[in-house]
Amino acid sequence: MTVTLAIDTSTDRTSVAIVRDGQILIELHHDDALAHGEVLPKLVQQALAIEDAIDQVAIGMGPGPFTGLRVGIAFGQSFALGRGIPWFGVSSLDAIAVDAGLEDFIVAIDARRKELFWARYFEGRRITEPAVSVHQIVEELGVTIIRTPPRAAAIAELSISQNLREPLYIRRPDAYPLPAGIIFRTVNAMDAVAMYSIEQEIYKGEDPWSLAQFKEEIAAKDRYYIIAESEGRVIGYAGVMLVGDLTDILTMTVAPAFRRKGIAREFLKRLTDWSRNKKVIAVMLEVRFDNTEAIPLYEANGFRKISERADYYGPGKTALVMRKELS
Amino acid sequence: MRNEPLVLGIETSCDETAVGIVRGRTLLANVISSSVEQHARFGGVVPEIASRAHLEAMQNVIGQALLEAKVSLSDIDALGVTAGPGLIGALLVGTSAASGLALALDKPLYGVNHLSSHIAVDALDQDRVLEPAIGLLVSGGHSSILKVSDLASDVEVLGATIDDAAGEAFDKIARLLDLDFPGGPAIDRLAHSGNASAIDFPRGLTHANDLTEHLYDFSFSGLKTATSRYLKATPDAVRADVAASFQEAVVDVLLTKAISAARAFGYESMIIAGGVAANSRLRAEAARRCEQAGIRLRTPPVSLCTDNGAMVAALTSLMVGAGQSPTGIGFAADSSSGLERLLWR
Ligand SMILES: [Zn+2]
Repeated sequence: MTVTLAIDTSTDRTSVAIVRDGQILIELHHDDALAHGEVLPKLVQQALAIEDAIDQVAIGMGPGPFTGLRVGIAFGQSFALGRGIPWFGVSSLDAIAVDAGLEDFIVAIDARRKELFWARYFEGRRITEPAVSVHQIVEELGVTIIRTPPRAAAIAELSISQNLREPLYIRRPDAYPLPAGIIFRTVNAMDAVAMYSIEQEIYKGEDPWSLAQFKEEIAAKDRYYIIAESEGRVIGYAGVMLVGDLTDILTMTVAPAFRRKGIAREFLKRLTDWSRNKKVIAVMLEVRFDNTEAIPLYEANGFRKISERADYYGPGKTALVMRKELS
Repeated sequence: MRNEPLVLGIETSCDETAVGIVRGRTLLANVISSSVEQHARFGGVVPEIASRAHLEAMQNVIGQALLEAKVSLSDIDALGVTAGPGLIGALLVGTSAASGLALALDKPLYGVNHLSSHIAVDALDQDRVLEPAIGLLVSGGHSSILKVSDLASDVEVLGATIDDAAGEAFDKIARLLDLDFPGGPAIDRLAHSGNASAIDFPRGLTHANDLTEHLYDFSFSGLKTATSRYLKATPDAVRADVAASFQEAVVDVLLTKAISAARAFGYESMIIAGGVAANSRLRAEAARRCEQAGIRLRTPPVSLCTDNGAMVAALTSLMVGAGQSPTGIGFAADSSSGLERLLWR
């Protein structure tokens, strides 16, 4: 027999439930976007009056507006610490989906600033990574959008199969630290030579792009190239191409002396933002199978391997094809 | 000793995730995880970054504090948490964590004032509590003169800054001098090799016509402007002299006003606390001037001057000792609370 205290604060609603092996002993909620901090302890206190012998805590990890979301997580983790019991983090979107009863649908949580945190589900399975987008983009998919707050009891139910350890923030803090002293800007024709010389240095013997290719790329339609600069010198570049309803990342290159400073992460963010503005459904990229620096970065940013291309980078050098869903 | 309350205090009002544990007035643990490095490149604290860091660090910091104090959570008699003033998103991580612990352990919870806990930390590991006293609270977030009649129940603001906090002024001048954030320690170091009387920078709100309305208030924006103007007009300025002279102007006005408050109320004790109390020039000059004025001076150890959890535990412990009833759970953190709210009700 397991008694679970479940909490969710990912929406305006503060939800609390105590569930014993699937049986809801008590479920409470209160709607107030600005009062999670006051409301949650009171609801939990009320619930504990029904059953105080808690074995584990299940916590809705969002996505959701950050301030309220953190109230539930900080409270739940500390309650578990105080009782010496485990806690399990659960996707709040998945908890909403539990109750949907539809075949193809989207679950969304208000992200403020006219945006939604959302994910798409098909036949009971989540088929996209949780994302944040303006309402219009989500609505244009023409799929039923479910926006009811998650029930805490559904959070308890999913704690059997989920164990998230970090909040699902999705959106970065506004002032996410950029690499210090690095300037990002869009490319211009003057950059071709600098890009070419970095390319030569890095991809020597691996079929680097020619100077002519760079000039063509910069001038081509449906391309977006950005440059990273340090002290007026080009130290990296990245580019993406629009192909139908997809974008394809063509290159992401950082001079060796400037690696591990978050430049690639910033490139990826900007290329993804550009893609999102083009309203494509996904971003694709190819990466060499043994590029152990880049693959974790892509994975951390929502890219998943969808296929392989043998000998793409030369004999024996397989490319992984990765894809990140935007809508 | 054993029958004195064991109190755990949580502080998250700005960029330090901090937990302290005290027994009565004996300090047992003081653990701090700071996100200051993540803010450095912005030259100031970014609220969302601070809040994320609090949540990331909280469980570890609590665990470490328990280890350091060699106690377990079930031994705790009461919990205290900073309920304001501070960054609201940051405060909420602390109050929510404290509420979770309080409910799990079924122990009383006190929501206390950040400003008064800065002063209350002085009570730790001392033979006696120093009251009544004038409190000079100076940090990146606050610059106030407090009238402390009773640490646990009666603290009043006599004056405060009308623009920048003293610590903010240090940060801004540090930036002008190409020094690192936070600016206080950097200016302190550079000033050691400078001449403090090289440049006569203005002392804000010290003229006779300011004193009627702002007797115990501070203003550092004029000093900031004067320093910046001086640096622009003097291409070959000696940076160490600028740092020393700027610092001298801050220290002078802080101490002149605090000592005149002590005289006006007939108080014989002064407590200097807050991050800027770590400044070596302020400490030395305060010692000199207080001795001259016959005032007993106490400055908590530097490790207890910046934001920490021990100060919250100390104030809570004083409240428990004074028989004050706890706040209970389900209270609202208040980002802009003043000292009329020592204890949340
Ligand atoms: Zn402080």
